[in-house]
Amino acid sequence: MIASQRMFRAMLLVLIASLASCSIYRQSDQDSGPVVQQPDKPAAVPGVTLPQPRPPDPPASAAWRPLLAKAEQATSRGDYEQALALLQRAQRIDPDSAEVYLSMAITHRARGDSAQARATAERGLLYCLSASECDALRGYTH
Amino acid sequence: MYFPLVGGRSEGDSLLTQTQFLIAAGVNSLSMIQTRHLLLKLALVLLVMGGMFVAYLDSRITATFSDKMWDLPAKVYARPLELFLGAALSPQDLTYELEVLGYRSVSAPLNPGQVSHYRNRFDIYTRGFEFPGESESPRRVLVEFGGNRVSGLYAGGKNVDLMRLDPVQIGGIYPQHGEDRLLVRLEDIPVTLRNGLLAVEDRGFYEHPGFSIVGIARAAFSNMRSGGVVAGGSTITQQLVKNYYLTPERTIVRKLTELVMAVLIELHYDKDQILESYVNEVYLGQEGPRALHGLALASRYYFDTPLEQLGLPQQALLIGMIKGPSLYNPVRNPERALERRNVVLDVMAAQDVISQEQLSVARAMGLGLNNQHSIRNSFPAFLDLVRRQLRRDYREEDLTTRGLSIFTSFDPLLQRQAERSTMAVMDQLDPSDQLQSATVVTRFDTGEVAALVGGRKPRYAGFNRALDARRPAGSLLKPAIYLAALEQPRKYNLASVLSDTPLNLKGQSGQPWKPQNFDGRPHGDVLLYRALAKSYNLASARLGLDLGLDTIVDTLARLGVQNVPRVPALMLGAGEYSPMDMAAMYQSIAAGGFRMPLRSIRDIVDAHGEPLRSYPLEYDRTSSQQAVHLLHYALRAVVREGTGKGVYRYLPEDFDVAGKTGTSNDGRDSWFAGFSGDLLVVSWVGRDDNGGTGLTGGSGALKIWGHFMARASKRSLAYRMPDGIETFWIDDGNGYLTGEGCPNARMLPFIDGSEPRQRTNCSPRKSGPGIRGWFESLFGRGD
Repeated sequence: MIASQRMFRAMLLVLIASLASCSIYRQSDQDSGPVVQQPDKPAAVPGVTLPQPRPPDPPASAAWRPLLAKAEQATSRGDYEQALALLQRAQRIDPDSAEVYLSMAITHRARGDSAQARATAERGLLYCLSASECDALRGYTH
Repeated sequence: MYFPLVGGRSEGDSLLTQTQFLIAAGVNSLSMIQTRHLLLKLALVLLVMGGMFVAYLDSRITATFSDKMWDLPAKVYARPLELFLGAALSPQDLTYELEVLGYRSVSAPLNPGQVSHYRNRFDIYTRGFEFPGESESPRRVLVEFGGNRVSGLYAGGKNVDLMRLDPVQIGGIYPQHGEDRLLVRLEDIPVTLRNGLLAVEDRGFYEHPGFSIVGIARAAFSNMRSGGVVAGGSTITQQLVKNYYLTPERTIVRKLTELVMAVLIELHYDKDQILESYVNEVYLGQEGPRALHGLALASRYYFDTPLEQLGLPQQALLIGMIKGPSLYNPVRNPERALERRNVVLDVMAAQDVISQEQLSVARAMGLGLNNQHSIRNSFPAFLDLVRRQLRRDYREEDLTTRGLSIFTSFDPLLQRQAERSTMAVMDQLDPSDQLQSATVVTRFDTGEVAALVGGRKPRYAGFNRALDARRPAGSLLKPAIYLAALEQPRKYNLASVLSDTPLNLKGQSGQPWKPQNFDGRPHGDVLLYRALAKSYNLASARLGLDLGLDTIVDTLARLGVQNVPRVPALMLGAGEYSPMDMAAMYQSIAAGGFRMPLRSIRDIVDAHGEPLRSYPLEYDRTSSQQAVHLLHYALRAVVREGTGKGVYRYLPEDFDVAGKTGTSNDGRDSWFAGFSGDLLVVSWVGRDDNGGTGLTGGSGALKIWGHFMARASKRSLAYRMPDGIETFWIDDGNGYLTGEGCPNARMLPFIDGSEPRQRTNCSPRKSGPGIRGWFESLFGRGD
């Protein structure tokens, strides 16, 4: 799952590079593609040494997974506060994860806060990458 | 010393004077009545009074000598640093974090709070921490870096998924009298420290009834020799009474009261309770207005080490300092402190607390002070924000007495960079120190304030410009006009043609309002997105007036900006706004039209570690997500081709951001507000006397913004399309639909069904839906 996402991201970057000639927005090549994640930018100022070339993306997304599992447990025993605290921690670690948004929406719904569930899912829709993920979030937007 | 139930020192004073007065009154009335039983009556009166006095002292002791006797100031913590594989963090960042945490650099970390660092490897013995709801235990971890990412994280030979370092304490909220302390339980005190303390201060502690005849005799002898009261001969119990209840003056009455109270305490409480109170009460120095009480706090303060983990020579130094915290202050008088420490070590060895071998090793050691100047209370602007947020929910008294732990979103790494960028740019812009500056940094995904610069001297508390400078916003308010327009997709889109032509308006009070463009020229017909990118005043004012003042006021309110003047000049930024106000507005924009209150506090935990309150993340969608998406496009155009182009003197070409410049009349205020993929930053430059700066947004605040973003932001602004957006090729000259490869062709996003109706004659080389399909496949929609 994670590996395939990585692959997808890598392919995406290649795709964007190859599409630079038919860029979406003329203003600049860089504004064109839906860039999912940019590599670390080098410091663009003289006098500062450039960082080393970045190693392949490590599986950063694995880091917050245990938190989601713990949050799920907290939700199932009705401790929504703790669940949300864990999910917020997960979100700080990876703010671009639709999965975290989905878990938040589920938790809000479980504690009976439909408005928050909807708003969270709507925001999460900006981050979903697969049809199934997007559909799952859409399920909470009504 | 103040106690919640009974007053402290001042009451002790009045008590003594009252007693003296009563005795005097008794003697007076006595002199008037001459009877044989005079002496007997006097004795009786004194006996009753004495009994009452003792009873009074006793009630005072029992009422206050409980576990709630101290005011415990609230402790304010920064965010803990999260470590995990792939974390975007440089070795320099980790070095700084460990430095402000006071981790000691050693060759091999054997105790908590130590680190060894070689190139890209950090071997850290963490201190551990009790977080709200979760805890991290102290352990030895290996952190490896590949470039500016964590590429390896191990503990005990196994991979660690995720962990947190202990959070930096960035300040406290102290009561008026400035007493600060950390409580420690007796069983957590190192045994050598405990026994050393007794050896030096009160050898007979576990035997005596509260006072020691030997000690008093010795003191009396030296007092007699010197002809005054110079020596105390006090037991630990007596010292405790003195510190708790009595004034420092040395009178016989005070001494007697002390003695009585010491005995009373001994009657009520066991020795361990008394000793525990003593180690938490003892005064060990001063940092400005902050009085350091208790061994645990002193250990943190002088050595950056928890008391439990303190080394022997350091323990001896603390014991030695009790006799004269100022005289033996190791920072100011290191030689005297070392001498005193060695005396203590000698006593400890002589009393068999430590071995001869331990003695010789410890004597050979240095003072072992924290080499780093404490960063506590170095961030007055951020602490100010935290305090204001706290005061909405808590009484001052609770904050200064209940020992709360306040966990904030403060990020020391971002703060350091914000301060550095401010200084670097301001020193270059204005070497003569006439201008001031403020910056707010938030993580817009969560709405958390991460750093705050309130002025050019960020270490000094004073005018907090980030919160309190109230200035016109210039063009920083313009996005609200364009958002209001884009929220009416039937009437407006990014390719709508606006008229940038002169405008003359009569205000309500009769004064004419005649806005001008910055270059003084009208630009005629201009596409909507470009009017914002180039910050054309005439086109913007006309657009705003077409939409209506009420609409603009409402849009601003939905973005989180209230209290705006209802005048046409609002379109060009009239009013008074702090950098924080602007951060709230751009936060809503950056977050895609979701309004979130800017938060600085995550959790509050009471003295027993029980969560009191958390400030959860809450979204409130107040603007159309699609319209905000189009606004993002225009704000990207600002930095790519408009007034904000200067950011790319700092940022790499391929790093996407969005933002807006702002300049108030006569260049009094220079603003820049904008966001990357992770951070939202608002910077302001101006003069405290509101004079002209000679700067525009682009030549002033933008530079701080760019300098900071280039060094602090970890993520480029990704392009994310919400549902209900389509892209079309547009003729950039007239806003007509056109085809790919046609003259002036440019692709723009549109809300479904809002694309232009008119078409150029040029036929497309390729069809639009192909690109659309590509977009859709990327974002997983359209099936």
